[in-house]
Amino acid sequence: MNTNYLPSDFLPIIVQFVLAAAFIVVTMIVTHRIGPSRKSKAKDDPFECGIEVVGNARTPISVKYFLVAILFVLFDVEVIFMYPWAVNFKKLGMLGFIEMVLFMALLLAGFYYILRKGVLKWEE
Amino acid sequence: MSLFLLVLIPLLPLIGFVINGIGFRHIPKGAVGVIGSLAALGSFAASVAVLLAFKEAGSQPQIVSLFDWITVGELSIPFSFQHDQLSLLMLMIITGVGSLIHIYSIGYMKHDEGFGKFFAFLNLFLFFMLLLVMGSNYVIMFIGWEGVGLCSYLLIGFWNKNTSYNNAARKAFIMNRIGDLGFLLGIFTIIATFGSVEYTEVFRQATGLPIGDPVLITITLLLFVGAMGKSAQIPLYTWLPDAMAGPTPVSALIHAATMVTAGIYMVIRSNVLYTLAPETLEVVAIVGAATAIFAASIGLLQNDIKKVLAYSTVSQLGYMFLGLGVMAYSASMFHVITHAFFKALLFLGAGSVIHAMSDEQDIRKMGGLRKKLPITFITFFIATWAISGLPPFSGFFSKDEILAHAFEHNKLLWAVGLVGSAMTSFYMFRLLFLTFFGTFRGTHEQEHHLHESPASMTIPLMVLAVFSALGGVIGIPEALGGSHQLAEFMSPLFDNSRQANPEAFMPISLSHSEEYMLMGVSVLVALLSGIAAYVMYISKASVPAPESETRQGVQRAVYHKYYVDELYDAVFVKPMRTLSNLLASFGEFFIDLFVDGTGRLVKALANLGRQTQTGSTGYYIFAMVVGIMVILFWNLLIK
Amino acid sequence: MYPIVLLSVLGIVVLYLGFLKSKSILLPATLLFLVVAMIGNFFEWNDGELLYFKGMFAVNKLTLTFNAIVLFSAFMIVAMTQGFQDNEEAQPAEYFALMLFSLVGAFMMIGFENLIMLFLGVEILSVAMYVLTGSDKRNLRSNEAALKYFLMGAFATGIMLFGIALLYGASGSFSLNGIESFVTLNQRSPSYLLYAGLLLVLIGMLFKVSAAPFHFWTPDVYDGAPSIFTAFMATIVKTAGFAALFRLLSHSFSGIYDFWWPTLSILTVLTLLVGNIIAVYQDSFKRMLAYSSISHAGYLLIALTSMTKQTENAILFYSMAYSFATICAFGVLIPVAREKSLEGRPNESYEAFNGLAKNNPLLAFVLTVSMLSLAGIPLTAGFWGKFFVFSSAVERELVWMIIVAVLMSAVGIYYYFRVIMAAYMKEGDTATIRIAPFYKIVLIAATLLTILFGLAPGLFEAAM
Repeated sequence: MNTNYLPSDFLPIIVQFVLAAAFIVVTMIVTHRIGPSRKSKAKDDPFECGIEVVGNARTPISVKYFLVAILFVLFDVEVIFMYPWAVNFKKLGMLGFIEMVLFMALLLAGFYYILRKGVLKWEE
Repeated sequence: MSLFLLVLIPLLPLIGFVINGIGFRHIPKGAVGVIGSLAALGSFAASVAVLLAFKEAGSQPQIVSLFDWITVGELSIPFSFQHDQLSLLMLMIITGVGSLIHIYSIGYMKHDEGFGKFFAFLNLFLFFMLLLVMGSNYVIMFIGWEGVGLCSYLLIGFWNKNTSYNNAARKAFIMNRIGDLGFLLGIFTIIATFGSVEYTEVFRQATGLPIGDPVLITITLLLFVGAMGKSAQIPLYTWLPDAMAGPTPVSALIHAATMVTAGIYMVIRSNVLYTLAPETLEVVAIVGAATAIFAASIGLLQNDIKKVLAYSTVSQLGYMFLGLGVMAYSASMFHVITHAFFKALLFLGAGSVIHAMSDEQDIRKMGGLRKKLPITFITFFIATWAISGLPPFSGFFSKDEILAHAFEHNKLLWAVGLVGSAMTSFYMFRLLFLTFFGTFRGTHEQEHHLHESPASMTIPLMVLAVFSALGGVIGIPEALGGSHQLAEFMSPLFDNSRQANPEAFMPISLSHSEEYMLMGVSVLVALLSGIAAYVMYISKASVPAPESETRQGVQRAVYHKYYVDELYDAVFVKPMRTLSNLLASFGEFFIDLFVDGTGRLVKALANLGRQTQTGSTGYYIFAMVVGIMVILFWNLLIK
Repeated sequence: MYPIVLLSVLGIVVLYLGFLKSKSILLPATLLFLVVAMIGNFFEWNDGELLYFKGMFAVNKLTLTFNAIVLFSAFMIVAMTQGFQDNEEAQPAEYFALMLFSLVGAFMMIGFENLIMLFLGVEILSVAMYVLTGSDKRNLRSNEAALKYFLMGAFATGIMLFGIALLYGASGSFSLNGIESFVTLNQRSPSYLLYAGLLLVLIGMLFKVSAAPFHFWTPDVYDGAPSIFTAFMATIVKTAGFAALFRLLSHSFSGIYDFWWPTLSILTVLTLLVGNIIAVYQDSFKRMLAYSSISHAGYLLIALTSMTKQTENAILFYSMAYSFATICAFGVLIPVAREKSLEGRPNESYEAFNGLAKNNPLLAFVLTVSMLSLAGIPLTAGFWGKFFVFSSAVERELVWMIIVAVLMSAVGIYYYFRVIMAAYMKEGDTATIRIAPFYKIVLIAATLLTILFGLAPGLFEAAM
């Protein structure tokens, strides 16, 4: 790998950065400029599917909700590892298969632990 | 056989410590004292046997290696004992005087509830002290050095119900640590220079260095800082008078006879290094002389019997360093020996007085005790005579030898020594007269209670009195028809020094008549001060003013020990406290600094940040960020 | 390698054991697993230098010795976990499992050959510690500590990750060898990217070992966490952190010693000052131990800063001596604080120790030895730890640093001896505290080891 980059070698990246930033800025300004803008009491109200606004939005939510959310993220991310394995399935061969089985076994062990702990029992 | 005996010397006190230390709740009091004293006596017997074997074998120094102790890189430190003239002499003092004090303590501490603990600590002290003098390298010496410091701490704070005693203990320990810093750095410098800590190896290599080599001066000065701490020299002396808070036998053993002389032992042990560093010797001599006269002058006006003796100890240690500074190594050792006898005797005598007076230590409340405590009086008298340097007792010979060397070296040092000697004589006789003569000034109850101490206390007194009186025999100078056996015995120790710096080791060039004159002058001075004390305290029967009376001018300064303690308090202790206070509130301090310093912007930002973070965490992180920024800027932009 | 695999699997086993009705099997099982891991650790003892995972993880004598210290400390701490049985809120299976998992992280920090491995190790260790810090759920201070620790830890991790990225940017490699060859090639011409990366990684690690000025979390977190987990943090996290720092600096970056030592030396002195001086002012023994752990990080940093041949031995010995003494200190603190509890909370102030020696001579003795060792008094292991550290600094001629360190260790005596004084010399009435026999054995063993290594420090090197 070539490690002796000159600052000028990074120029394309900078150009891309500038373009990306400029695009966002330009779009924001342009949409505000060219779009029609009308103001009235009804329009400035928070939009809530036509139902009137009730109470505070920041009410406490059951911790179960967060647990499920976190677990979802966890398992979701781990499943991503299946994709590269699937792509290289033939090349990795038997060893890869065993490694993947081990990985899944560990995941399932965790899943079993969650079930036994009753984390997913929504009703209790 | 010799190896067995040698190992036995430190082992016996250690066994005594273990037995008494573990079982002090279960062993009966009688047995505790016997076990403790037997351990000391056994080790004394072993020391005598080793000494005899040593003389029989032709007085050859010997190193007995027990096992390989530590190896770090190329440095290897064996655990080995060296016995030669110096360590044997120290062994005799430590185990001999130590045994007597153990026996004395059986009587003195009889009524104390911590009897077993006391003997355990005393034995532990002996163990470390023996380790200190027997080791064949600086690291073992340092272990012993720290160990005796720890024991001294434990024993000063022995009567721990009293907070001021605890503070005294802590003061002693921390002051000693300052000295230890010097010692430790000295050892490291030795390692860096010579690649070894074994005495023989270090001295062998040192002989090859030129006189006045800067490395040697550094090493010797650092080691001397260690000695200043342990042997209570200016400016690290204030712990010793405070150390009198401990039981009196402890004061006698640790703070008079043995531990405080460790500094002198160290210098004599390293005599080659010191001989090659004349500049350091100058410093040693000046510090010694200054301490001798300074402490003696404080002693003049103290009214606590043990405080007087404490300042006297500091002053006598000053004499020993004066002797070392003028390269009178064997004379200093001589004074160590005689001082061990008469100062231990003085302390034990004082203990006997305190015992009889039901724990009263103020000499203004004593008087006329000579009839009630005859043995204590006679022995105390002998010791006073000896310490004042009056013939024919031991102190005369050793002190005069130091003064003669000082005279030859530098007349001013001699004069200072002489003045100190006059003061010594004055305050010692003042103590003697106020305590034992005149009329009794204490309460009726105390008078009724007065009694001579039990035999276990008086016998050690008598033994020590005999040695204080006759101890000078080993070092009678030629001028008085003696042959100075001690100097002859110790002479091989200085072979290396003599070889390295022959000029400095020329024999005394004083003629006999000059020597007679010097002796005459010092005896006369001591005698005159004694008489002055007699006139003041017996003929005029004056008693020092009580605490409440205000004193004037010089007298006031001296009475308050020149305010040295107060000075230290103001210069070191208070700023330390303040700094600690300051840093303890570092959190708030940091917040204040930044909030006030950088104004509203930071305030607004901090406020924003605080909404997502709990309390002060934001500030912690802010402080970290500042740290990170400083590090990055310093390294990448400035450096 | 074996201990990592073993403890990963056995940690899950411990989790499952938690489903059993009886919780009493958990403690012996965890101890057994630790012994198994210890045996596994010594399987590779004579195999010389081994590399795993395509050179991402190394096993050699040094890492195995560090592993052994960590495992041994963990064994003692786990053995001292009492009282989970009678606490309704406690989740012992999860605590033990987390401790085992965090050990896996520690092993990875010790044996990493690749910065990715280091990062993984740091994270595994830290995340487990965040949870354990907050394990006392009903205690507000424990919760606060956990949150603080997590937030600041995440911040430090971010800094470290940034540093790793910069190092990769500069050298084009994550592996220690790759970085080392880049450093040696470009010794003459400084690469600021590399410098910045190194500094940021260092900062991240220094946070973990609580060196100033990244120590702010330490007192609050140590104070708030349950004592047993504080002991875990103070010993295992610190040992692993220094092992990682040592491997990083001695291996990859020894070529640019001249660049990093001035910074490190200043931080060392700052750490020593902060740790020791603030500790003087504490009234809580536990909080004092937190500052003491900062100050010991300072002493260990001296060895790192000097980076001589002796450094390796000095760090090993020092962390061992420090770990044993700290475990003893906490081992005494826990039962005493519980005995003297105020309003249902353990009393961790100095006063709780008043008059301890009268009815609990063993506890007082253990406490004394551990304090002496922490203060560096001869004939304890702590003395030799300091001795080795200082002598390695002398070899580099960093005398001014030693002067600061020795002065600070004199300050240390003040606060270490305060508790000894309280135990032996102050009046107080403490009833005889009942201690489980196994707990007692662990305390005695750690004390004896402290004395043994104090008498014959050569034994340690002989054992290596």
